[in-house]
Amino acid sequence: MSYEKRVARLQEIVADLEGDGVPLDDALKLFEEGIEILRLASDELTTAEGRVQLLIERVEGVFETRQIDD
Amino acid sequence: MRRSYRTGAPRAAVEADLFGTSAAMRSVAPATPGSTPETAIPVASITETARAVIEGSFSPLWVRGEVSDFKRHRNGHWYFCLRDASAQVRCVVWSRSQRGIPTSPDDGMEVTAYGQLTVYAARGEMHLNVTAMDAVGDGLWRKAMEETRLRLDREGLLATARKRKLPYAPTRVGMVTSPDGAALRDVISVIRRRAPHVSLVVSAATVQGVNAPAEIVAAIQRICRFGEIDVLIVGRGGGSREDLWAFNDEAVARAIADASVPVISGVGHEIDVTIADLVADHRAATPSAAAEAAVPLRSDLLSGLRDLSDELSSSLSDLAMRARTRLENGATSLKRAASIDAERRRAVIGATAGQLNALSPLATLARGYAVARTVGDRRTLSSIRDFNAGDLFSLTVRDGEILAHVTESA
Repeated sequence: MSYEKRVARLQEIVADLEGDGVPLDDALKLFEEGIEILRLASDELTTAEGRVQLLIERVEGVFETRQIDD
Repeated sequence: MRRSYRTGAPRAAVEADLFGTSAAMRSVAPATPGSTPETAIPVASITETARAVIEGSFSPLWVRGEVSDFKRHRNGHWYFCLRDASAQVRCVVWSRSQRGIPTSPDDGMEVTAYGQLTVYAARGEMHLNVTAMDAVGDGLWRKAMEETRLRLDREGLLATARKRKLPYAPTRVGMVTSPDGAALRDVISVIRRRAPHVSLVVSAATVQGVNAPAEIVAAIQRICRFGEIDVLIVGRGGGSREDLWAFNDEAVARAIADASVPVISGVGHEIDVTIADLVADHRAATPSAAAEAAVPLRSDLLSGLRDLSDELSSSLSDLAMRARTRLENGATSLKRAASIDAERRRAVIGATAGQLNALSPLATLARGYAVARTVGDRRTLSSIRDFNAGDLFSLTVRDGEILAHVTESA
């Protein structure tokens, strides 16, 4: 899931919990899902190391990326 | 592309080239070709000689004049005259030479044309074989750009409504540029500084020269087919108008418009604006500015996550609080409902008991009546025919039962 999709899901969960339609059991499940998404999103920002790659297309539709040293 | 040239006087030895001998020798030598009717030379020979003389005397050079009689021939070549107040020279631009010229000139335009002066044998005319041209004040470049802009605009490709929103937190940025250029280094350094978690995928293209437009188009299409990017930067560092011309190319503009992700143009500007800027979803004045527009500051993203984390916690505790309040309210009304119910039941029981009481035979007994029944099977004895002298029977009264004898039957 992309970072933006994660954040969008998180916002959806918060909105659901703020509403009155969620039974307590489901609310707890949503909350746990939210905590997990927060963890993944935060990992993505803090531990992922951005790379610089050169895109090569071997034949049409077959790609390879090669690390560029900078 | 433009070479500086200083015109020189035609070489002195022209006569010798044409007649193959010096004027001084003419009187003693046999008749030179063309000197008598008998030695007349063919037309092709003289035009060919004239061509050799003229081409040998003039290197390619820039000529200034006003365009007139411009014609675009069916075969793609352009023909026109360059003239000033007292003279004119015919000009031709072969279709293969037109790649280096932004667009065709209009009649009346003041232009400088670069080319080789020559003789066109079929017409016996001198003409300038033009390979580069511009109007005074970059007029042809401006005209070409305006023509492209109008075509794209008519198709709605420049409309504001078409502009796509940039993603606020991309994790993969694509870039179409030269892998050796300063633009790439600038973009890498901005991304490393602002958002070190973001990856950059480079689709390589030559960004200047005649092959640049086709390579840029191919690179945009290639990275869109690859697909794993959130936003695309198309750009290069600054340069002259000719250097940046690929970014005014119509095919490049169309590739940008067709890109599968939002496109940021980042062409280093010494000139005002390129067609690529107009068609891109976001326009930045340099590659660095394009990178700044593409990626947010990581610290901003992290603080956004902290806010969301706070909202998540408080939404759950609010929900728990609301649930508790609801539960308490529920308990109170349940109790109230239960007590109302009990009272109602008591009232019903009381009323029913009254009715039962009214129907009970015991009530009749209470009023002084008695019931006579047989002792064994306790049949009720209600007629004188039920009694025979000497029978023992039971008599129930208000407060008990006694045994009795029949002393005399009817």
